[in-house]
Amino acid sequence: MIARSHQPLLRVEHLGMNHVQRHAVTNAKVIVQAFADVNLTICPGTTVALVGESGAGKSSLARCLALLEKPAQGEIWFDGMNFLALDRRALFPLRRQIQMIFQDPTSALNPRLTAGEIIAEPLLIQGQGTKAQRREQALDLMEQVGLPRKCEGKTALEFSGGQRQRLAIARALILEPKLLILDEALSSLDIANQEMILKLLTDIQAAHSLTYLHISHDLRLVSRFAEVVAVMHGGKIVEQGRAANLFAEPQHPYTQELLAAMPSLESICQERFA
Amino acid sequence: MAMKYIRRRLVHAALLLIAISILSFALLQLAPGDYFDAMRMNPQISAQTIDGLRTEYGLDRPLAVRYEHWLVSVLRGELGFSIAYNSPVGPLIWGRARNTLLLTSGATVLAWLLAIPVGTWSAKKRGTWADRACGVVTSTFLTIPDLLLYLCLLLLAVRTGWFPAGGMISPGASSLGFWSKAKDVALHLFLPCAGLALTITPMLVRHIRSSLIDVLESPFIRAARAHGISGTRVLFRYAWPVAANPLISLLGFSIGTMLSASVLVEVILSWPGLGPLLVEAIFARDVYVVIGVVMLSSVFLVAGNLFADLLHFANDPRIRVD
Amino acid sequence: MRRRLKLRGAIILLAGFQSLILLAGFFAPYNSTAQDRLSPFAPPTRVHFFDAKGKFHARPFVYGLKNNPVDFGAYGIDFTRVYPIRFLAAGAPYKIAGIFPARIHLLGVEEPGRLFLLGSDGYGRDQLSRFLYGGQISLRAGLIAAALSVSLGIVMGGLAGFYGGWLDNALMRGAELFLALPWLYLLFAVRAALPLHITQSQVFLLLVAVMGLLGWARPARLIRGVVLSAKERNFVLAARGFGASDRYLLFRHVLPQTSGVVLTQIALLIPQFVLAEVTLTFLGLGVGEPLASWGSLLSSLQQYSVLSSYWWMFLPALLLVPLFLGYYLAADALQERFKSVSL
Repeated sequence: MIARSHQPLLRVEHLGMNHVQRHAVTNAKVIVQAFADVNLTICPGTTVALVGESGAGKSSLARCLALLEKPAQGEIWFDGMNFLALDRRALFPLRRQIQMIFQDPTSALNPRLTAGEIIAEPLLIQGQGTKAQRREQALDLMEQVGLPRKCEGKTALEFSGGQRQRLAIARALILEPKLLILDEALSSLDIANQEMILKLLTDIQAAHSLTYLHISHDLRLVSRFAEVVAVMHGGKIVEQGRAANLFAEPQHPYTQELLAAMPSLESICQERFA
Repeated sequence: MAMKYIRRRLVHAALLLIAISILSFALLQLAPGDYFDAMRMNPQISAQTIDGLRTEYGLDRPLAVRYEHWLVSVLRGELGFSIAYNSPVGPLIWGRARNTLLLTSGATVLAWLLAIPVGTWSAKKRGTWADRACGVVTSTFLTIPDLLLYLCLLLLAVRTGWFPAGGMISPGASSLGFWSKAKDVALHLFLPCAGLALTITPMLVRHIRSSLIDVLESPFIRAARAHGISGTRVLFRYAWPVAANPLISLLGFSIGTMLSASVLVEVILSWPGLGPLLVEAIFARDVYVVIGVVMLSSVFLVAGNLFADLLHFANDPRIRVD
Repeated sequence: MRRRLKLRGAIILLAGFQSLILLAGFFAPYNSTAQDRLSPFAPPTRVHFFDAKGKFHARPFVYGLKNNPVDFGAYGIDFTRVYPIRFLAAGAPYKIAGIFPARIHLLGVEEPGRLFLLGSDGYGRDQLSRFLYGGQISLRAGLIAAALSVSLGIVMGGLAGFYGGWLDNALMRGAELFLALPWLYLLFAVRAALPLHITQSQVFLLLVAVMGLLGWARPARLIRGVVLSAKERNFVLAARGFGASDRYLLFRHVLPQTSGVVLTQIALLIPQFVLAEVTLTFLGLGVGEPLASWGSLLSSLQQYSVLSSYWWMFLPALLLVPLFLGYYLAADALQERFKSVSL
């Protein structure tokens, strides 16, 4: 366990975002609300999970928090700074503190670049170090995520799904972020790979003093590592709290539904074969 | 909702045509030189005479005024005045356009009638040696420049005498009865029509074939086959309606280029269409004829695209019926 | 495997063709303007190894021509004198790349012998030489115009796709306007509108510029499509998360994705523009004398007498087929290659 400070790492207040879509044929604008009035607090060193069904607005929220999209209302306070009030130039060096891992590792990596280039890219963009230094750091991180150094020259296509996700994690870590947002990062992997990546994440959390925000629709998976859980439904956070409490005594009807719909292996077997 | 879409597209097309007219007008009128340049070279004609002629034909007025006059003339159906032929441009163009349309519509119909079965059959038999042979033939025709093709056809006509080597009707044929005249025209029409069709067909065949293949290899077709539906039925009732979508754009393009695709064949095989008229007008710097021809073919291009758009719209299952 | 062979074969064919044309001065026995009024419409010169007496010559040779006293216009063969073909012979002076003067030609025969490998035209000009020099005009026109169109297309399509909004709207409306123009007609018309007293090289440049400027719309639309889908890819989003600027994203991640479309468009546009220039010159509206273009080589075929009597005047047109075949195969192979590499 790492020491927790009292100051929350991330504090989100009344965040809301809309999507503007165009009708397929007539091209008329249609405004769809992604999420509204979201309040969330994440303490440093914790692992927070955000769960809900598909289309509940989780990914949109994740992108807002990763500063990849602009919310319509609300505030994002990170480490005591109001991120949304900063302009682009001021935000530039601060971006490294929040990084995101995407659901599909294949689309998250440029197929034309080599593994070494992919991992070192954030350093290149942030203008850090010489080419040799960047390369060294990239190789270092490759080892940490469990990829052999000699894979440096391979393109992203030559790796398997699990390995690509490791690449993505290495790339995210190279800027030494404080918060890592994992947007359904395990959903596209098979069980074996999920286990390996989970183990990797746990191992590096302490080493790099990371805070995790897991976005997932899989409550069972989440129940294995989350300390704090927030449940999202219809664009709003309906319940949040410590995992132990939430799983034991869910307050909101939707949470109760979710938990009820998650049978254990025992109960399945009992139902079918007893 | 459908009416709103159609209305919007029509307005859009009209605006586009106006923009094209302004663009071509400005382009041509801004260029130095006019019809009387050739006359200027002649020392026997005084500068005063030429200036007088210019004023008479309105060539000395500012650009905007000339454009306005031309627009009015368009609305009257005259499309400006041809100095070389000494007549309004409108009737001059209509007659020639009719001949061109006869040629190109014949060629287009022929091309599509040929391409659809060949493309379909080729898609069905994809991978076999027959399909590959077909592919070689279409590729060959694609790479032969149409200039060469038309010259060969002309050579064929001149050497063998099976077909007349040019023109639309034989001299003295205008006094014959309707059927004999029609036969005569048809004989003259054959070579240019066949040549033009040969230049259009290979591209059509390739597009039809690739579009059908894309559809035939998609999962829903495989499901249909797995249900035991016969190959032919799958092809026509299931594959074709979906494959038709990208081909609608092609059809629009075919229609759109009906006035402009035949320039070369008309000149080489002396078919009295818009092509030779344009070339003459260009040499003579007969501005309004040139603009008239350009505008007319633009109208067809825009109309062709509009037609394709509307067909797409009608074909689209995402439209809810009002 | 077969696809790679196809592309490689096409590129070799094209490279070979174009280097022949590039070094036209060396490969052509004569200059493009050298006339021989005594030998108009001479048939292609036959190359022999055995002479009239049956003797074998190690070096191939040709015979001279003489006028046939009975059939005016046809030629008889003068067996009295043998002209051996000289390799790397000194001939008419020319300039490599327009700068370095040289005199060596690949082939030649001693005066007054004539080496008309593809026959001669109405002014007694060697068709082979004119074909090679004509390529410099026609092919260059196609290359420059295609490069211009595609470059414009990259700029317009890239900006429209990347930034979207009103810029996208404006540019795409513009593209629609240009696509609705009957470009060949407009090209004719612009050519016609040019003043009478400008040099042929200026005509050439103007023609090329107009073709290039009219042709940006289709590549722009295609490139815009690729850019639109590329900029939504997660790796672009991830790079944004690292603080990448728009410029970095465009050049490093988005535009490289368009390479497939760009190459295919180039391979398709070059023959299209070459053919446009040839058609224009054929109709007398393009580049005229003294610059030889492929179109002017073929324009005499419009006369029936030339068409039916002098078959070798067709040869330049036939030689165009492998060139177009090369581009066509390249475009085909490129299209297949980039269709399957989409992730």
